[in-house]
Amino acid sequence: MTEAMLLAILLLSLYAVESKDLLYGTIALSGVSLLSSLLFYILKAPDVAITEAAVGAGVSTVVYVWAIKSMERNEPL
Amino acid sequence: MKARTPSAQVLTAVLCIAAASFALWPLATLDEAWPEGIRDYLESRGQDESGARNLVSAIYLGYRGYDTLGETIVLLVAVSGAIGMIGAAGSKLAPGYADAAQGQVPVAKPTRRVHRRTELIDVVTGKLGPVVLVFGLYVMLFGHVSPGGGFQGGVVVASGIVFLGMGSKGAGLSPLVGAGTLARIEAAGFLALLLAAGLGIVSGAGFFAPPLRGVSPVGYIVALNAVIGLKVGAGIGFLCIAMLGETER
Repeated sequence: MTEAMLLAILLLSLYAVESKDLLYGTIALSGVSLLSSLLFYILKAPDVAITEAAVGAGVSTVVYVWAIKSMERNEPL
Repeated sequence: MKARTPSAQVLTAVLCIAAASFALWPLATLDEAWPEGIRDYLESRGQDESGARNLVSAIYLGYRGYDTLGETIVLLVAVSGAIGMIGAAGSKLAPGYADAAQGQVPVAKPTRRVHRRTELIDVVTGKLGPVVLVFGLYVMLFGHVSPGGGFQGGVVVASGIVFLGMGSKGAGLSPLVGAGTLARIEAAGFLALLLAAGLGIVSGAGFFAPPLRGVSPVGYIVALNAVIGLKVGAGIGFLCIAMLGETER
């Protein structure tokens, strides 16, 4: 279970690095945070899991999306 | 940006792995045992001495108050700096939030309806916001018995504030989302934290020590959790709402 989640985190991170569209990359990063928070919960660190879910998947995604929105999007979609 | 060739990508990856290995090598080959004295002390006496069932809360508010104070200051500086930089860069902030940044900052004009989101998001976030707020308050106030605490609960409260900000379209804006309210909560929270930290000096217990002797110090931890949670929630909520800008009303 843990190994599968770590593998999924790795794949999502690679996708976030390689994706041409920044918005897709941001959503992938949000998925990474969600999976890591589940992992923290499985590894019996519920305090860290709450923080990771709220900050990683929630607030930082809002910040990234706002930054992308403020830019001109001229990437090939 | 110039397109990277595959060989350059491989080189970058190899360099990253080499740097990480270099940093982690001493940890992997460490001969000395990990320091165990403090760990064992906290494990055996932490819950009794602080009165908190959640050992994490017991440590970061009962034993490590200075660190917590430093973290809240870091957060305050980060939010102020981000708002200042956004304003200086000429980006649009939500109406009312530009006062926070000195100088002339373009403010998004409050328009009646901006068709950038579907009704679904408006309705769902507006209804979900209060629920998330209540959950955040629970995480904040019960940090001494269950997982959570001031920082965790504060961030959940901030998510609830963002939900309220996204979900309140038109004139139905919740007063909690206003710039002045959040800024006041943040300032009052920090002042209360400093006062709570200083109370121990007056009663002779010491800085960041529970001021009342003979009483279980768990009440002090609950109070600190509540103050920190309000401060963190207001600060991060302020940042996010300010950045939501013109699309939010």
